[in-house]
Amino acid sequence: MLLSPEISAQTLGAVAPEVSSNFMDVSSLLIDHHLDPEVGARMAAAMLRINPEIAQDIGAIIDIAKKKNARIVEDFFADIPEGRLKDTALAIISAWYTGVVENSANAEVFAFETALMYQPTHDVMTIPTYAISGPNGWNAEAPALGDMPTF
Amino acid sequence: MANDYSADVIVVGTGVVGCLVAEQALDAGLSVLMLEAGPRVERWQIVENYRNVPPRFKQNWNAPYPAKPWAPHIESELADATTDYLQLEGPNGRAYRQGYVRYAGGATWHWAGICWRLHPDDMRMKSLYGVGRDWAFDYNTLEPYYTRAEYALGVCGPSEVELQWPPLPRSKPFPMGRIPFGQGEQRFTEAAARVGITNLPAPQARNSGVSYDGRPPCCGNNNCFPVCPISAKYDAASALPRIESKGGRILANAVVYRVETDAKQNIQAVHFFNPNKETQRVVGRLFVIACNAIETPKLLLMSKDERNPNGVANHSDQVGRNLMDQPKISAQMVLAEPMWTGVGPVQGSSIMMTGQGAFRSEHAGAMLRCENAALSAVGGLAALSKGLVGKALDAEIRRLSACTARLTIEHEILADPNNRLTLSDKKDWLGLSKPNIYYDVGDYVRRGHQEYTLPLLKKLIAELGAVESSIATTFTNSDHMMGSCIMGTDPTDSVVDVDCRAHDHPNLFLPGGAAMTTGGCGNSTITMAALAMKASDAIVDQLKRG
Repeated sequence: MLLSPEISAQTLGAVAPEVSSNFMDVSSLLIDHHLDPEVGARMAAAMLRINPEIAQDIGAIIDIAKKKNARIVEDFFADIPEGRLKDTALAIISAWYTGVVENSANAEVFAFETALMYQPTHDVMTIPTYAISGPNGWNAEAPALGDMPTF
Repeated sequence: MANDYSADVIVVGTGVVGCLVAEQALDAGLSVLMLEAGPRVERWQIVENYRNVPPRFKQNWNAPYPAKPWAPHIESELADATTDYLQLEGPNGRAYRQGYVRYAGGATWHWAGICWRLHPDDMRMKSLYGVGRDWAFDYNTLEPYYTRAEYALGVCGPSEVELQWPPLPRSKPFPMGRIPFGQGEQRFTEAAARVGITNLPAPQARNSGVSYDGRPPCCGNNNCFPVCPISAKYDAASALPRIESKGGRILANAVVYRVETDAKQNIQAVHFFNPNKETQRVVGRLFVIACNAIETPKLLLMSKDERNPNGVANHSDQVGRNLMDQPKISAQMVLAEPMWTGVGPVQGSSIMMTGQGAFRSEHAGAMLRCENAALSAVGGLAALSKGLVGKALDAEIRRLSACTARLTIEHEILADPNNRLTLSDKKDWLGLSKPNIYYDVGDYVRRGHQEYTLPLLKKLIAELGAVESSIATTFTNSDHMMGSCIMGTDPTDSVVDVDCRAHDHPNLFLPGGAAMTTGGCGNSTITMAALAMKASDAIVDQLKRG
């Protein structure tokens, strides 16, 4: 789907570089997986449109992580206070996992095949429209739940 | 202008039935013009549309098919102006919210490809059980047409007769062997066996292991609905170009709104609107209306004239009556052990034996099946809603994706003249009447569900090892529309004859689901396709005789 000129400007050009950079920094702290910076830049712009104060929230979450010398989310998530900051953190995680920043039928999809929620099962379950086997190449052997793929 | 649009055979509707009739007529040397209310699209557009649907809405199979203003159809669950296209009323109006597509190719785009034949007993309900109606012919009459339809669509299926449905000799084997089960369907089959019922590999219009008809083999994209991304499944994107290569013409965005009769009750022409609301007339020697069991009767009722005050083909007053589907009940559960659905195509098996038995004199039977769709988005959204993060989030997504399962029951329903489509006072964008539908699944289905299928479903849920389960309490649509131009030998209580020819009009054919007398509990498409083949023979014969 081609973006309209207006949306292209908003999603690709209008976000301040420091917001985009901070968004990737906080995303990396909240999610211990490979994250695409181009997807992140578009998501940051979209989240900024919905919540113009998100830049402050991001800064506050990064500060909390720094105080804990955190490298992964488990190191500092419990320290994020309930309410707005925790909601922002969960919204950022949700955006990377689902590929959308809004719960609307017309929401823009930023990621489909790279949306993280498809990755914990990518060793078994096809992401619909993509193939992971050849003709009749699947079988009835079930892998263990504990064998988490890397992504 | 009239001469611009003419052919020996005019086919209204470009779904599976229209395509089969068109191709049979072309192969016999007749000229064919097809008219389609909706747009013509290419596969990649639908695939892209699907990928760009937000995850919470991805299971609305019509979402990648936005309706054009002139060809509204339902977009299930989406808050869009077109959701009020079908006017639904009656005790189970919700159960007739049919998700068909008004696009060139119709529902071939997003059907599951499943091709269950009727069982011979399904065609003798009145004789055997004293309920419903008998077909005008028996299973043996239909069998060769089933086989032709299976070869035309490219249906794969098991070679062992005990794994076929019905378990009876076939005039030819399936064109291809069966599709293997993935983990989910294997577990479901084993659980069913433990409670004494057999889960059968489904015959499917999907290429198994080999190419067929220029289409590639299925690679398990798990996206048969809303669209197969590689055309391993029979659908419009492979059927329509082949029709054109044989000389057929296809006019998209042509909304037929009137069927014109002459003094001898022959059909003279059909009239259509284009998207500019201009009207044009199409003449032909013979006319086929194949717009499914909702749009076909709607068009006939809209076409009333002095000679046909109840609508075309409706001297029996049966047009629009006897609407059938397979009232569906769904259940979702989380199992203790992983099920891993989503490996292979979205559907690949069903329990069919539960639709047969002496109980049918008292209540409905049903087909039970396990959905084989990948539930990674369902598991992902459910895990995220718990507020988890990090490794715990990933583990919960994997658990819920692998351990969530969905079972479905689809009940047979009896033809009831009170289940009826009429013309609503409400108008669509072109000023044409919207369909109004009254629907009650009836006590036959309700009894069958309460006394028979619900206990069976609960047994299966327990046998699968569910730790949580939720069973819907509302019947929903299966998108298997049937019965609204019902077949019979008596012109006073039926609309079409044994070849799907309208009793009232010698050159009008209404093949497909609308003509079906009973529906059983299996998917209706291959029976519709077989009727299309039978009608095609009659059409060719009639025109060749002059």
